Amino acid sequence: MKYNRINIIGLGNILFGDEGFGVEAIRAFEKDGEYPERVQFVDGGTQGLYLLDYIESCDAVMVFDALIPLDFDRRVYVYHKEELPAFIHRKMSSHQMGLSELLGIAQLHGRMPETFVMIGIPPRILDLGSGLSEDARELLDEAVVQGREILREWLGE
Amino acid sequence: MAKKIVVDPIPRIEGHLRIEATVNENTIIEEAYSSGTMWRGIEVILRGRDPRDAWAFAERICGVCTTVHALASVRCVEDALGIQIPVNARIIRNLMNATQQTQDHLVHFYHLHALDWVDVISALKADPKMTSDIAQSISSWPKSSAGYFKDLQQRLVGFVESGQLGIFSNGYWGHPAYKLPPEVNLIGVAHYLEALDFQKEIVKIHTIFGGKNPHPNYVVGGMACAIDPNSDTAINIERLAMVKKIIDDTQQFIDQVYIPDLIAIAGFYKDWLYGGGLGNYLSYGDFPETTLDDFKTLLWPRGAILNKDLTNVLDVDPRDASHVTEEVSHSWYTYTKGDDKGLHLWQGETTPAYTGPKPPFEYLDTDKKYSWLKTPRWKNHPMEVGPLARVLVAYAKGDPMIQDTVGRVLSKLQVGPEALFSTLGRTAARGIECKQTSGFMRHYYDQLVDNIKKGDYRTFNSDRWDPSTWPKECKGFGYSEAPRGSLGHWIQIENEKIKEYQIVVPSTWNASPRDGNGNVGAYEAALKGTPMADPGKPLEIIRTVHSFDPCLACASHVFDMNGEEVTSVRIV
Repeated sequence: MKYNRINIIGLGNILFGDEGFGVEAIRAFEKDGEYPERVQFVDGGTQGLYLLDYIESCDAVMVFDALIPLDFDRRVYVYHKEELPAFIHRKMSSHQMGLSELLGIAQLHGRMPETFVMIGIPPRILDLGSGLSEDARELLDEAVVQGREILREWLGE
Repeated sequence: MAKKIVVDPIPRIEGHLRIEATVNENTIIEEAYSSGTMWRGIEVILRGRDPRDAWAFAERICGVCTTVHALASVRCVEDALGIQIPVNARIIRNLMNATQQTQDHLVHFYHLHALDWVDVISALKADPKMTSDIAQSISSWPKSSAGYFKDLQQRLVGFVESGQLGIFSNGYWGHPAYKLPPEVNLIGVAHYLEALDFQKEIVKIHTIFGGKNPHPNYVVGGMACAIDPNSDTAINIERLAMVKKIIDDTQQFIDQVYIPDLIAIAGFYKDWLYGGGLGNYLSYGDFPETTLDDFKTLLWPRGAILNKDLTNVLDVDPRDASHVTEEVSHSWYTYTKGDDKGLHLWQGETTPAYTGPKPPFEYLDTDKKYSWLKTPRWKNHPMEVGPLARVLVAYAKGDPMIQDTVGRVLSKLQVGPEALFSTLGRTAARGIECKQTSGFMRHYYDQLVDNIKKGDYRTFNSDRWDPSTWPKECKGFGYSEAPRGSLGHWIQIENEKIKEYQIVVPSTWNASPRDGNGNVGAYEAALKGTPMADPGKPLEIIRTVHSFDPCLACASHVFDMNGEEVTSVRIV
């Protein structure tokens, strides 16, 4: 399936260790390649409502995030639209508006992206202080490889 | 017999806020205690870093107010190092700040607060034709036909019947404190959804000038964007035209949707004038027309009001150690020279020391320490900050634009100025201010275009970029009026690194616990005396707390580790 507008969004707070995994992942993803204009990388931080446009304005969304409710087990998780875990109800921010609410609003507006993928790792540490743990850093490459494979399909390559 | 109500956390806010309140036998709130339940540690993160990088960390402490922290941070570093920014940088920062205020107020009114007054489920019973008649009687906004409201109502029915209320979950629908007829509720819901769509447009201005959003680029010494009318990549004529279009649309939305809705909704709640609280108001001021120390040019004036006395606006100097202090008598920190000693922020200390109960717990020991928020005071007075404080300071100082708008809103509602000292007054002040800041957007756009026409493209002053030009030791203060109120960043620099950094955010003022003298904070004062229809459904508490637009993320901590968190309400 080929998509015309693809947004790759990194979520999380870089001040809290592995909570910043999503943001670090899209930074690595973007730095390590050349992409056509229809692919946009978005450092979403812990924003909620402000990200609505990045979800509604495209037909394929890839989100990188730390999967806080799970325990770290040295692997990267990939969830496709139909198998999104219940814990995406985690309230992010912009006043407790989480990803699931944003998707709900997109639905109400009739502007759900056609496809949606979430890639992440459970965090190893969530302590104050910037920077990923060594363990999380080792998984960055793999997360990016997984993302790139999906992106290749989305681009029809 | 007095009962104790615990609401934890307050829904639809950023961060963790817990309210414990006691109600008497007539279900009137006698005492309230406000507690930030998670720790913020930004000060610790910043120690030892390059001061030029501080803004990029500061803008991550909150999921909502990224730009306001970046702005206060670059201002405090520039103040410390004696850097003057170019005219374009001042204008662009003001324009971005006005954009932030406008968008944030709009989002607050519709998405974080309106549902405390608007009953979504009641809207399902509205008559679309009558809804259309009401909508057309209050505004010329074009989306107002009976067909439009009928379609919307059907979508809403489908949404509710799907059983997944999503954004509308957690409401106390059908609560007796809701007073609007179904038709006005339907207008409220329609504009909730329209505003959700529209707010996305406003912040595109941040992307244009800040390079990206939601984390726009700032730089110590100016702004990082280049201006060149003939370049494809810089701020050029085409981008300026986009900015102008966004401003036009924003002003129209506020004039034709936000303000008429505010007046229509408030008209049904004129009897609900609770929540006034302290009666002490503080504004650092913002929107400099020249430099930040030229206070008389601030479009939002600086000043303090005590005991609702609008005849006497007092001078405020946050650099003065006798003006702005923080103490920790009831906060989970320790101070080396005594927890009840108010320290000025250049002498500030951040040593966390949790002494509260081990979670999960029933209630806090409010006689002792009970919050992660420190206790800021102005000349030892607890103060309210935010739109109401700013509007009152400007009103009392005779600002003609504010006096005119306030006068018109009050006369439409047929109430006197004393009605402003209430929850509803706070909510109205935010709308009044939003109209004003959307006008600022146009003002700064015009200023920018004029300055560019003069041939001035400069946005950055690099004179002091190199740390070898800095003094060995220096300190600075950066202020800004954020959507939620007065924001201060105090920095000390030594040997090119940050020695100490202290932030007092607006929600710390408003949500502060009691001080050593037993004076309550702004939320605590505002909740006192409020009658509750049903203590098991504390809509009235939520309404008043939301009217302050709390943002406990910057005040306390950043993220929420829980999964499906539902506000728990307990009556003990």
